[in-house]
Amino acid sequence: MTDPATSARKVRTAIILAAIALGLFLYTLYGGLR
Amino acid sequence: MSDAAHAIEHGHPHPTGFTRWLTTTNHKDIGTMYLIFALVMLFAAGTMALLIRAELFQPGLQVVNPDFFNQLTTMHGLIMIFGVVMPAFTGFANWQVPLMIGAPDMAFPRMNNWSFWLLPVAAIFLMGSFFLPGGAVAGGWTMYPPLFIQGGMSYDLTILAVHIMGLSSIMGSINIITTILNMRAPGMDMMKMPLFVWTWLITAYLLIATMPVLAGAVTMLLTDRNFGTHFFNAAGGGDPVMFQHIFWFFGHPEVYILILPAFGIVSQIIPTFARKPLFGYASMVYATASIAILSFIVWAHHMFAVGMPVTAQLFFMFSTMLIAVPTGVKVFNWVATMWKGSMTFETPMLFAIAFVCLFTIGGFSGLVLAMAPVDIQLQDTYYVVAHFHYVLVSGALFTIFAGIYYWLPKWTGHMYDEKLGKLHFWLSVIGMNITFFPMHFLGLAGMPRRIPDYALQFADFNQIATVGAFIFGFSQLIFLAVVLKAIRGGVKATSQVWEGAQGLEWTVPSPAPYHTFETAPVLR
Repeated sequence: MTDPATSARKVRTAIILAAIALGLFLYTLYGGLR
Repeated sequence: MSDAAHAIEHGHPHPTGFTRWLTTTNHKDIGTMYLIFALVMLFAAGTMALLIRAELFQPGLQVVNPDFFNQLTTMHGLIMIFGVVMPAFTGFANWQVPLMIGAPDMAFPRMNNWSFWLLPVAAIFLMGSFFLPGGAVAGGWTMYPPLFIQGGMSYDLTILAVHIMGLSSIMGSINIITTILNMRAPGMDMMKMPLFVWTWLITAYLLIATMPVLAGAVTMLLTDRNFGTHFFNAAGGGDPVMFQHIFWFFGHPEVYILILPAFGIVSQIIPTFARKPLFGYASMVYATASIAILSFIVWAHHMFAVGMPVTAQLFFMFSTMLIAVPTGVKVFNWVATMWKGSMTFETPMLFAIAFVCLFTIGGFSGLVLAMAPVDIQLQDTYYVVAHFHYVLVSGALFTIFAGIYYWLPKWTGHMYDEKLGKLHFWLSVIGMNITFFPMHFLGLAGMPRRIPDYALQFADFNQIATVGAFIFGFSQLIFLAVVLKAIRGGVKATSQVWEGAQGLEWTVPSPAPYHTFETAPVLR
């Protein structure tokens, strides 16, 4: 069983990575629109 | 592992049969599914390659019509990249990363399941598009407009498939990065991680940084096709060359996504069979990171011929050549690892050595193509086809074979048939070279790629290439036989398997139990 601290760290890492991916996707579309 | 043994080990009733595989969250099950998926796709896309080569055996049209030929080349590329090499390496990552860092599983097992099961859906869309009116996509795997804006409904289906595969890759990468950063066993510092883990960590970052860009590019294609936008449509004020820039901003790092895990696998295998630690571990890590960073500033070398300022050509030319430096460091380190080692030549080592030699040939032809004035002569010729097949077949595919032979005893608990493995190796290495080496000459003589018919002067080398392709293609049936034989039985593998192998994965029994490292191992 993963301890709560590791669990929170895992979720935080995943959210940051997902945000980077979403940001790049939107930035590509924005670049196309400009 | 049998369903019954798996249920017993679990200590509670657990789904069996297909439901087990559909609902599994176990990294080993998911790794196996990725690898089986890649193998099935290898035979599908390999069959397309043989059809292409059959048509090119002689000038004129004999086997397929030109439009179907274009569908074959496009789908062969798309499936080999997105359906074979990427899933195979993800399969290795799923199996090996938790085992190598002493983690009980991936960080997000349910998301891991979803990452995999998106792939068969995308594959059905891609393969199913052959049966749509107008057939599958025929505009090349690079999806360039205007062709990709003008095609039939299979183009929309392919865009959807690329979106789905991209989503799968992003989720897989989030999982891999999170696992490596947060779930290493106590004492497993970053600079103690096996090279395979390092290369996958860097690959996963590349995926996170480039897959959304590809998704953005194909989304714009989709809206151009269906919603009246003109991102890439010159008639509406758009710019088709912009697509090429966006695509290759994804596409060049993608090349390294396809090869960095291969570097990792080779860096595991060579020390094992040379019975020496890897030469220059830290420099290997830094070289991998350097290659990844440089991969973002070289994209326009794929499109010198569209026209760009001389300054830009020089920038992309020299930055591309710069990649040879960290790659050279790696090749040097692999050779230095073998230097004065107690080498033995089991099948994984044979494939790894073939990789070092043949990938270097692909690297050198890459340097030739990096020179802008030369590239303008050679672009869209068979020289390019020769170059990237040396990099992807003897680079990526050979290391996938090497990795499977290397870890198969750990996965199945049985040694594979060494004689058959060696036969597979020699037929593959000979067949591969007979297929792709003559393509250098064809390209230098001016034979264009992506054509079903050609001038008579190119006939001899094309015939040689086709003979090689059939040797190479059919020898993969030996590989299938070796894998099936090892799954069904054979000499029992010890937990160590290979005398010189180092690392946590060799401390667990063979086959690796369904659950490993539930209590984290402690490293000194």
